Amino acid sequence: MTTTSPFPFPPTYNFPAFFTPQPNTTTRQAQLQKWSSLIQSWCRHHRQYRLSLIDAVESPLFHNTALRKRLDLREARAVVDWMTKSEEEGGGGRRAEWISDGGASSLGGLGNGAGQGPKAVAWIWWRRPEEWADVLVEWVEGTGQRGSVLTVYELIHGEGAMSQEFHGMDTDVMLRSLNVLVKRGRAQIFGGEGQEGVKFF
Amino acid sequence: MFFKSLDLTTALRPLLLPDEILLFVQDAVGLYDGKYKIQNYQNGHAYLTSHRVCYVAAEDPRKYSVAIDLKEIDRVDSQAGFLKSSPKITIYPKPQKKKTDKSRSATASPAVAQQSALHPTHSLSHLPQTNLPQSSPSLKPINATWICPICSFSNPVPSNFDPATATAAINLPPCLACGIKPPFTTVLKAAISAVTSRESQSLNSVPSPAVAQDTGQPNVNASQSPVGPGGTVSCPRCTFVNHPYLAECEICGAPLSAGSSANANRVDSPAPLFEQSHIANTEVSESIKLSFRAGGDKTFHERLKGALVQRKWLLQNAPPVPSPSQGASSPGLPSPAASVENPLPSAPRSSGVGIAGLERRGLEARRKNELVIGNAFEDLEALMASAKQIVALAETLARESGMTTNESSPETSAVLSESAAALGMVTTKDMLSSGSESLYLSELARDLAEYLTDDRKGILQREGGIMSLIDLWAVFNRSRNGVELASPSDFQKAAELWEKLKLPVRLRRFKSGLLVVQRYDWSDEKTIEKLQAWMEELRRVPPSDPVPWDLSLFGRAVTAQEAAHRFKWSVGVAAEELEMAEDRGVLCREEGIEGLRFWRNYISSPEYNDISRLAI
Repeated sequence: MTTTSPFPFPPTYNFPAFFTPQPNTTTRQAQLQKWSSLIQSWCRHHRQYRLSLIDAVESPLFHNTALRKRLDLREARAVVDWMTKSEEEGGGGRRAEWISDGGASSLGGLGNGAGQGPKAVAWIWWRRPEEWADVLVEWVEGTGQRGSVLTVYELIHGEGAMSQEFHGMDTDVMLRSLNVLVKRGRAQIFGGEGQEGVKFF
Repeated sequence: MFFKSLDLTTALRPLLLPDEILLFVQDAVGLYDGKYKIQNYQNGHAYLTSHRVCYVAAEDPRKYSVAIDLKEIDRVDSQAGFLKSSPKITIYPKPQKKKTDKSRSATASPAVAQQSALHPTHSLSHLPQTNLPQSSPSLKPINATWICPICSFSNPVPSNFDPATATAAINLPPCLACGIKPPFTTVLKAAISAVTSRESQSLNSVPSPAVAQDTGQPNVNASQSPVGPGGTVSCPRCTFVNHPYLAECEICGAPLSAGSSANANRVDSPAPLFEQSHIANTEVSESIKLSFRAGGDKTFHERLKGALVQRKWLLQNAPPVPSPSQGASSPGLPSPAASVENPLPSAPRSSGVGIAGLERRGLEARRKNELVIGNAFEDLEALMASAKQIVALAETLARESGMTTNESSPETSAVLSESAAALGMVTTKDMLSSGSESLYLSELARDLAEYLTDDRKGILQREGGIMSLIDLWAVFNRSRNGVELASPSDFQKAAELWEKLKLPVRLRRFKSGLLVVQRYDWSDEKTIEKLQAWMEELRRVPPSDPVPWDLSLFGRAVTAQEAAHRFKWSVGVAAEELEMAEDRGVLCREEGIEGLRFWRNYISSPEYNDISRLAI
């Protein structure tokens, strides 16, 4: 999933004060905004959809080895917390979503966050499901596949979508995006678990 | 007697002369000249010092403040308040004497030389007179009369008779009627009374100084001389009604008041004529009154009388140590005149030159020091004796309270601390009338402001223009050498008054509650500007060690210690200032194992926002 090219960190990443929670509200907002951007671009670069904070605090994302500065777990949690809130609540516009233990096991069963308590793993929406839905619709329309039936596996791993951004996407994210389309009346999902098919109208 | 102009300190209080001591202060005082209120001088502080009585107006004090010298006061009267009339103290000036004039001109006081009052134009001009002291009186003939003690004939005083220089050796002309030579004192008294009456006259006849000068000076009774119908003037001595153009009485030769126009002016406007701009350097006519609208007159009167008895101003002119060598060294000079001409004790007057002179001065200084130290230790012993008693008293109080309750209840401890505070306060409020807490505080506030802005000490400058109130309290009390210490609560209250009194310092409360003192024109913006300039400088100058971050972009972080060192602030103040800047979004913080450091705020500054957006 990861690409070989190194992630280009923004200049703020090398600013030592960036790793200290700022008491000034305005500065704090700007700081959180920058962290949010950093996390999103990091995940996008690495094609990562879910972020386990326990693992991430040791990764270069939260740990600047050159400066010997890091964002500890509590602070990282605060940043993601901020990202989960909508902009009306003074948050980061729902760019993240906590994956609760139960939810994670029922959805994907990957167990990434199992046993780590709440607020350990989060979806990072560098594209929100709604946005993914738009991308899918655009691709379907662009390739003239309206009315045809595709399996979810085909969507994610199919050769037709090789060049698309959603290639290799997390199945849970794909299902959520498709569900958005279902709600909009643009698609229909059928089939059992693990073998879902989808029809675009 | 003159209203002298008064130099004020930065705290708008009278600037004291080197030996001068402040004795008493009272607010809400009005000033009267004779019977009349003086405009713009109706609400102010009266300062009684060992040398002067000063009046400083509450509003526009730089403009309306005057002083009169105690040495020119003849006597003072106290007048109790009655119904709506406030208690008053009347101050009568001394009759003019040339001796005092000379000593006065020799002092460092800013007022003009007094003898120039003989010149009638003086009361109009506020410029110092250029007349020589001795030449002025002798220029004008004194139009006085002396009454022969033998035959009671009124003889004119000879025109060359100068009361300043006259001695008994002068050959006086005999009485015109009986031919008996008069006693010297009679003539001298007559001459002096003529001069004083003329001076009071010259004040009243301000509008027409030229007329007064041309027609010769009226004598003491002239101002009351009735002006008859048709402009005729009745003689003050023999009551003969003279023609208005006559300068002297046709019958008895007494000088007539030529100032009928001056009198008319006086009638036209009952208020004193010098009210227009300010009364500094004008002369006091017969008396002045201080009206005490907020009380304090009794204490003022007592202290004033005390000061008049003590005559501290004499010390200013006195030679420091009377030594036999002094008289021998300057035998040619008339000694009293010489000593007053050279009033400063520090002025080198001894003719001893070289090593001998230096040695003698050293010896004198040592003797003086011995004396001072001896006195000081006597005081200290007295203080210790009473301190023991006070401590004993406090202990008994504590024991009693402990016996009644067995454990110290908060009430008793509160009472105890209150009484202790009261004990501490007695001496500090000694200078002021009891019960005027606000006056004490305002005076303390002025005291502090003066102390802070004193350039010689440079307290604020040394602290980088800002210092914490606690530091100031410590320094201030230390500078008072253990007497008249200010209590912390009074100190804070006084500091809070600065803004109200429009003094050049102000008290500021930081977010954390730290109270600091700074100049009035000091503002957060200025501090931020300074900090920003510093940050900019740090960005340009590379440090000796390489840093892992982009130096040209972020510069370097500063700690409170560094800021304190750089701006000469105390560390507490520096931390507060940095946090203030952070609060304003100029700086941001970095907490690390090295402690708290402050950076220029690159997090929320927009130009760097764009860069990070591009990187996404």
